[in-house]
Order: sequence, then structure tokens, then C-alpha cells
Amino acid sequence: MFEIGPYLIEGITFLRSWLELHGATPLQAMIASKVLETTVTISIILAIPLFLVYAERKISAFMQARLGPMHTGPWGLLQTPADTLKLLFKEDIVPQGADRVVHLLAVILAAAPTFVCFAPVPFGKGWPLINLDTGILFVFAISGISTLGILAAGWGSANKFSMLGGIRGAAQMVSYEIPRALSVVPVVLFYSSLNLQTIAVAQTPLWHGWLPKWFIFYPVIGQVAFLLFLTASVAETNRVPFDIPEAESELVSGYHTEYSGMKFAFFFLAEYVYVFLSSALAVTLFFGGADGPAFLPSWIWFLAKTGAIVFCFLWFRWTFPRLRVDRLMQFCWQFLLPVALVNIVLAALWIFWKAS
Amino acid sequence: MTPSLVIFYVLAALLIGFSLVVVTARNLFRGALALTSALGVMAGLFALLGGDFLAAGQLLIYVGGVMVLLIFVIMFVQTPEIFRARQTNKRWIPSLALAATLIAVFVQIFRKFNVPTEALAAPTPTSAALGRLLLGDLVVPFEVISLILLAALVGALVFGLEIER
Repeated sequence: MFEIGPYLIEGITFLRSWLELHGATPLQAMIASKVLETTVTISIILAIPLFLVYAERKISAFMQARLGPMHTGPWGLLQTPADTLKLLFKEDIVPQGADRVVHLLAVILAAAPTFVCFAPVPFGKGWPLINLDTGILFVFAISGISTLGILAAGWGSANKFSMLGGIRGAAQMVSYEIPRALSVVPVVLFYSSLNLQTIAVAQTPLWHGWLPKWFIFYPVIGQVAFLLFLTASVAETNRVPFDIPEAESELVSGYHTEYSGMKFAFFFLAEYVYVFLSSALAVTLFFGGADGPAFLPSWIWFLAKTGAIVFCFLWFRWTFPRLRVDRLMQFCWQFLLPVALVNIVLAALWIFWKAS
Repeated sequence: MTPSLVIFYVLAALLIGFSLVVVTARNLFRGALALTSALGVMAGLFALLGGDFLAAGQLLIYVGGVMVLLIFVIMFVQTPEIFRARQTNKRWIPSLALAATLIAVFVQIFRKFNVPTEALAAPTPTSAALGRLLLGDLVVPFEVISLILLAALVGALVFGLEIER
């Protein structure tokens, strides 16, 4: 079947040897090939929001018995490219009295980490561009930087709504980062590795010859860990029902009220890329990564599973009401956190019981 | 100059630059952002030395946790002074002398006791070995440190309690 990963590796190796044949030093050849790899990855990431925005519009429309975008191109397929063009041409407005440097820096801080996070994600055979040993920890560490972007946006806009949104966003993201990281601990305990590729590959064998040995199929521990991860991830991406940092009915649109044009687009991009990243992580940790019957290539399996979880994110957004601020914090600290801790203890007991 | 040396000097220059901004910026928020950047650059230095787990931990705890909380607090206690805090007070000349002395002492120390560190050929993963150390040989000190953190947590709760009288 058509696997992209091995071709990509072959192509990059070929490029390196070609460059070295034509008088480049090994170091120069390595830098050139790394630049190419990064460019490919960044282009893929930049394409994600294009599809997700269209999917969100259509899915929300169908859930509310509407048609959604229909006029731009067949079934409104060209609506997102048209919106992108519109955002590109819009005037970039910086409010008077705002801190111009911080206002700009916020966009960079929010959007730049999204590109780095994809480095260790295994999309399929031969995919993780860098086989990082600290994989999952690396992704959590880098995605945590985006919180600073939200804070800086709140501060740099000189607007009370932005400020409130920034403060709410920081409180929420710092709190939900804890159950999110703890929900992953059972997976790390079971496969005794932080490496995303190792975790994905360890889930490929079968139970009794038919049930794949994905982490989600471990009784109780797997399902609880997955639900915790999903809930905390929705909160981490600031989406309904956890979208108090940008609650339209209270805060106009929260921390990105004062952004226009491409700066606004980058906040949007960051949100959708994080939705995709969380789904990709969930697939890697709980659904066996790119594992699947061989009639389809592994990257298609990975994208299909990720798409299914992305659909959950969109589904939640259009079916749940927004939580109140205090309820949100209460839910995190008094429900998610204890459950995550109990789950870790259960996982440790399971491993202890298996070992003895 | 090897590539890693080039990266080291770039990171070191960035670290010094950001640290200078931390102490010179009159706007407290910008100073906090510079401190965050400085801590992030530190993670880069750790990664350069082969401490991949340490680098990720540095980013996760300092940049994603401590600094976010610090900026959070700055946003809550906004006063006009935040935007034009004075960077010096009356005793800046003695402080300068003290700092200069410290720098001289450090330069002397590193001149006399220079222990050359060997460059790593290829950094090896550290997280598995670290885990074994923390839950094996070093389990007692590790748990004692967590006790200190627990004490700090309980202390924060006690100070935060509303005492009814």
C-alpha cells in the first residue's frame, strides 16, 4: 500500500547525498534537509485549520438543521480559502494606548509553539521527524507556552474584556494542565516510556487474536484515562463548554477582542491546530496510533482516527452549554484531579499484580 | 567553531540580553516576559548539554507554570507604578561595586579551577535512567523534597484561610 513515510525518508536521504556529491559539507547537507523536513511539516500544519474550520461550519449547521456555507464553490467548499484571503487583506489595527510590542508578541507566543509540538507525533510508518525520547513531556512543555500568548494578548490590548479573558484563560489552562498530564501517567506506566513512537508501536499486538491491544481497551483504567484526557484537552483548547476565556456573551470575544486580520487568524489557527494535536495525541496514546488492518496505509488510519476524535471536539462545542467560572474550577480540582490520582494508583496496582 | 559551540554562544548572548531586560525594563510586564524568555533559553542550554528531560521539565515548570502564575499575579495587582517602576535607588553605586566584585571573583574562580567538560558525541536519552534513580537509589531524598513541597502547600492553605472571629 501507499505509505508516505518511507518515501519521505528516502527522498530526504537522497537529497542529502545529492548535496554532498555537489560539494556541500555533511553539516550543510544536514541543515538543508532539516529545513526541508520542517517546511513540509509546517505546510501540513498550516493546512489543518483550513479543513477544520470548514468541518466545524458544516457540522454545526447540520446539528442545527441548517445548510451552512453553500454559495462559495460547490457545497461552499471555497468558503475557508475566501475567508483566508479576506483575513490577509484586512487592516491590522493596534488599539491606542496598547503595548505595541506585547500586542504583537502575544500572537507569536500563541501560534509559534503549535508548529514545534508536531515534531515527535508519529503520523504513520517512518513519520516522527524527530524520535524524541521525552515525546509526550516535550509536547506538554511546548504547548504550555501558548498560555503566555493568551496572557500577553490580555495585557497588551489595553482593553478590560481582553484583560479578563487573559486572566480567565491563564487560570483555566494552568489548572487543566494538571489533570491532563496526570491522565497520561497510566499510559506511561504501562508502556514504561515517554516516547510517542514506542507507545504507539507497543499497542499493535492483539488480545485473543482479534481485539487490538490499544490502551483504551484496558478495563476501567483505559476508559477513565481517555475521558480525563479528552475533557482536559477540550478545556486546554478553550472550547465550549470550557470557553470562559472568550465567552462571547460576557467578554465580547475575550483575549482576542482587539485583534484583526492576520493576527486574529493566528489565534484561530492556534486553536484549531491544538484541537488536531490533542486528537492526534489521544490517538497515539489510547487508540494504537497508526495501527490498523493493512488494506489502508498507516497514515490514513491515523488521520481517520484523529478525524473521529476531532469530530467529538466539534460535537461537544455545539451540544453543551458553557460552564460558570467557579463551577469550572471546582470541576477541575474537586473531580478531575482526584479521579486522575485514583486512576494512577489503579494502574500501578495492576502493574504490581501483573509483575508478582 | 563546531555547530554546538555556535548554538551555545547564540543562546548565551540571548540569555544575557534577556536578563538585562529583566533588570532594566521599566514596564513590569515586559520584564516578566523577558524573564520567561530567559528561562526558556536556559532550557535550550540544558538540551545542548544532553539533558533532554531537564530541558522539557524546565519549560513545563518554569515557563508553563511558574511564570504564567507570576504574570497572572502582575495582571491582578495592576497599579500605575507597574508601568514606570524606578530601576535604581540611592544605593546603586555600592551595589554596582558589589556586583563588579562578584563578577571579578567568578572570573578568577573559573580561571584557576577550569574543569573542561567533554562534548557529548550524541546525547543519550536520560528519562529512563532518571526515573530509575528517583525511585531507586535516591528515593528517600526525593520523598523528603516532596514533603517540603507538601508543607509549602499546606502553609499556603493556612495563610489563605479566612479566619472567622
